Amino acid sequence: MTTFLTFTILGLVLGAVYAIAASGLVLTYNTSGIFNFAHGAQAMLGTFLYWQLTYGWGLPMWLSLIIVVGVVGPAMGAALHALIMKGLRDTADVTKIVVTVAILLGMLFLSQWIWHPEDARIMEMFFGAGAKVEFSGVVIRYHEIICLLAAAAIAVGLRVLFTRSRVGVVMRGAVDDPDLLRRCGHNPDRIAMLSWALGSTLAVLAGVLITPVGGGALEANALTLLVIDAFAAAMFGRLRSIPRTFAGAMVLGLAATYVAAYFPTDWTWAGNLRVSLPMIILFVVLIVLPQDRLRGAAIRTRERYRAPTVRKAVTSGAALVAGVFLLALLMDDTSITTFGLGMTFAIIALSLTVLTGYAGELNLAPLSFGAVATIVAFHFGITGTGLAARLTPWGVLLAVLVTAVVGGLVALPALRLRGLYLALATMAFGVFLSNMVLRDTTEHTLFGVTFSLFPNGTLIVPPLQVGPLDLRDGRTLLMTATVLFALIAIGLVALRNSGYGRRLAAMKDSPAASAMLGQNLVKLKFGVFMLSAAIAGLGGVLMASAGGSVAGDNFHIMASLSLVMLTVVGGIGYVSGALFGGLMSGVGFTIIIGTFNDLAAATPPMETIFKSLGHLAMVATALIGMGVGKNPSGMVHDLFESYRALRNARPVLIGGAAAQAVLYVLALTGVIGNWWFAVLTACLVMMLPVFGRMLAPTAVRETPLELVGVDEPYTPELRDRLDRELGLAPALGGDRHAVA
Amino acid sequence: MRDGTGAGSGAEEPAPLLELSGVRAAYGPIEVLHGVDLRVGPGKVVALLGPNGGGKSTTMKVCAGLLPVTGGELRFAGRRVNGVSAEDAARLGVCSIPEGRGIFPNLTVRENLWVATGTGARLRDVEEAAYSRFPILAERRDQLAGSLSGGQQQMLALSRALGTNPAVLLLDELSMGLAPMIVTQMYDTVAQLVAEGLSVLVAEQFARAVLPIADTAALMLNGRVVSAGAPAEIEDQLSSSYLGG
Ligand SMILES: Nc1ncnc2c1ncn2[C@@H]1O[C@H](COP(=O)(O)OP(=O)(O)OP(=O)(O)O)[C@@H](O)[C@H]1O
Ligand SMILES: [Mg+2]
Repeated sequence: MTTFLTFTILGLVLGAVYAIAASGLVLTYNTSGIFNFAHGAQAMLGTFLYWQLTYGWGLPMWLSLIIVVGVVGPAMGAALHALIMKGLRDTADVTKIVVTVAILLGMLFLSQWIWHPEDARIMEMFFGAGAKVEFSGVVIRYHEIICLLAAAAIAVGLRVLFTRSRVGVVMRGAVDDPDLLRRCGHNPDRIAMLSWALGSTLAVLAGVLITPVGGGALEANALTLLVIDAFAAAMFGRLRSIPRTFAGAMVLGLAATYVAAYFPTDWTWAGNLRVSLPMIILFVVLIVLPQDRLRGAAIRTRERYRAPTVRKAVTSGAALVAGVFLLALLMDDTSITTFGLGMTFAIIALSLTVLTGYAGELNLAPLSFGAVATIVAFHFGITGTGLAARLTPWGVLLAVLVTAVVGGLVALPALRLRGLYLALATMAFGVFLSNMVLRDTTEHTLFGVTFSLFPNGTLIVPPLQVGPLDLRDGRTLLMTATVLFALIAIGLVALRNSGYGRRLAAMKDSPAASAMLGQNLVKLKFGVFMLSAAIAGLGGVLMASAGGSVAGDNFHIMASLSLVMLTVVGGIGYVSGALFGGLMSGVGFTIIIGTFNDLAAATPPMETIFKSLGHLAMVATALIGMGVGKNPSGMVHDLFESYRALRNARPVLIGGAAAQAVLYVLALTGVIGNWWFAVLTACLVMMLPVFGRMLAPTAVRETPLELVGVDEPYTPELRDRLDRELGLAPALGGDRHAVA
Repeated sequence: MRDGTGAGSGAEEPAPLLELSGVRAAYGPIEVLHGVDLRVGPGKVVALLGPNGGGKSTTMKVCAGLLPVTGGELRFAGRRVNGVSAEDAARLGVCSIPEGRGIFPNLTVRENLWVATGTGARLRDVEEAAYSRFPILAERRDQLAGSLSGGQQQMLALSRALGTNPAVLLLDELSMGLAPMIVTQMYDTVAQLVAEGLSVLVAEQFARAVLPIADTAALMLNGRVVSAGAPAEIEDQLSSSYLGG
């Protein structure tokens, strides 16, 4: 009985902290419509700062508490709102999610920069672990009492705020219609800033309280994810109800404690289960929740994508393959292997293009599908041993098929969920897979078969061999991956331009309308999810074999998130956005860190500067993600648009191509290094449209479509242009070449 | 009927509470209002009529401070207020009720009225005014506004004008999607407010509903007020411009 009570109290304490974290999340979601994935990262930063003040600089505890919870917490929230969140109005769910994910990653990088992750940091309970009271054998520490009291006070306080105070009521109205608030004389910006400040304070408080409860060791990733567990609690209240959020948090805390206490110790997976319990609960709650009503009207968002034609896709695909071939001639073997690895990531990113870009469904855990495929291929698709071991094509095919089926299963909740809810469900799936499957390293016996899913924590995945094509050679792997990428990309573009693709686009814009037109949404969603999972699976297997071996961490949710982020940065509606996102997240980080580490090693006096620059580059990558709010269609879109303007400026294009050729020859003959080649190429690509505007202003200047003919004579050329842009058959007799 | 709109009215007239002269406004690069002239005198009702896309709602947004003026002048009681923010306009006494339903669906009726007190009124007064005018709202005070019927939602939206004592009321398509009887009831309420001294600018497609209480009507076509005058004349023009346009 005493042990039961003790565990119950532990569970309640854990639940109390979850509740504090979750209520902050609910608060900001309700006032701004943004689900803040960075909530945990904010908690983490605040907690590290608290540690720094108290343990690093020896400030009295109360003073650091005031500084961190009273000043830094609110300031961080207000700053986030002013700098980033304010700009997220009228953007699609995926943009909002990606921006907060980028903030999460940025804060993680920042903390790893300031506080080296390998140093141990311990935080003690308030008043020390020894300060406690005892009721009939049950020991309660002061710190635990503080957690419970704080949670109770916050519960009551928020309830009063939201129902008994005007500012609270106005906060609740803010998400529906900020313009109406302004018509009523309120300033929605100030209201939103207030709620972000409050939410951030709650996050920081939760972090400071939970770290000693969880053992006291301060670890950035763990703390960030720990607060993500609070997502499940928030979901109990459908992200709206504070009381139900608190109830959910208590359920979560108690369940986690009881699993740890009462599951037999020889169930090796119980520990993994305990860790992934919140995610399992999140998944279940999402599925059991009452169904979201289909939104009637299409929502106006700022994202714009142009679907390219198949012919253009084929040309670009051929150009890509040729370009990669030429590039590979410049590189040494290790770079080629790295490049090949990046290309396999790009294939995984293609799964996002079709799923999110075309169909508007979200998947935050693309690498988890890669993991499924890798495990299947590892167990069933390898022949030979040692150096002669090879992946069989049948094994890869099986892996892809199984992944497609798993994709279909994950789509089950997607049939009911949309947007954010689906994103959370896929994320729960990803974290669950990381915790349960990828950590299933010890052997166990089930139905007489002894096995472990992820033996020893690393899978050695040999290269694929199809007939004479052997991917052991890095160059062959790179070229095969590139050709595969190009083929899949062309296939996707063809799909987008087909009737099926238009049905997907219709579903994305307005599920209600497309259901009314007789579309079978269930079939559409199932299909696109399976297709996307299959692509991710293929990319995953190739990625594993390109690296030679994979550990569970290769499929970690943070890696998935950064892939999603970079793909959106590139442009999730475009296959070229996938190329950018895949290459960047697959090898971009490695190259950036590697370059700066090399520089640091080469010039010892500058070592710290170069190391800092490396960290800065990582944080900057996340900053680019935050920029998505400003430019939600992606960088590739902008680049395309600037090059579209160059269409009529032939000389500029030819000049650019010639300059590029010269650069290439210089690099090939060793006159300039590869690094300079890369930098100069990037500059050339970026600057060409600018030069174009300067050199050939008349050819480049193009009136926006909607202003055509408004303040200029309406000529036959303009009419032709309108026809062309609107996709109408060209008017007969119009002389299209008169202009330019 | 006196001319409350357009230039050239007599100097002895009191300064109009709301005046637009040569106002231009744009959504991004696309200019929608190309120089709108309009004036609403104290205690007057001006009806803004015109076909779809004429720029009525845009004019309303400009007056409410939601859309910045890119040219010309916007004046409240003779004072130039170009660039005024919507919340300041509201505090200056411009009560604007948007097209569609000007309510917060996820707040209760009472909470909606509470939010309406942002301009400085007291909740008790607003509640009293709203409930005595629309008793049904009193019954539903703790119901979510989103679950009210369309007519009740519009009553709730209009209630904002009742207790908060504005100087000018901007109404955009009050009749949209409502039964004729409810529309009449709404305009009765508006007429009562006008009798108490409120000035009203109302945009309507459904001209019949508003013309009886209007002092002046203005016809808007393609982002300009093309003519203004007695409601009956404008109605004639309106039907010809609909048919001819
Ligand atoms: N948010 C917007 N972005 C871009 N253009 C807009 C926007 N809102 C309106 N417009 C354009 O401005 C013009 C005027 O629209 P407005 O809504 O003012 O017309 P209206 O007279 O109120 O029409 P209705 O009687 O249909 O309500 C239209 O051509 C419309 O396309
Ligand atoms: Mg309108």
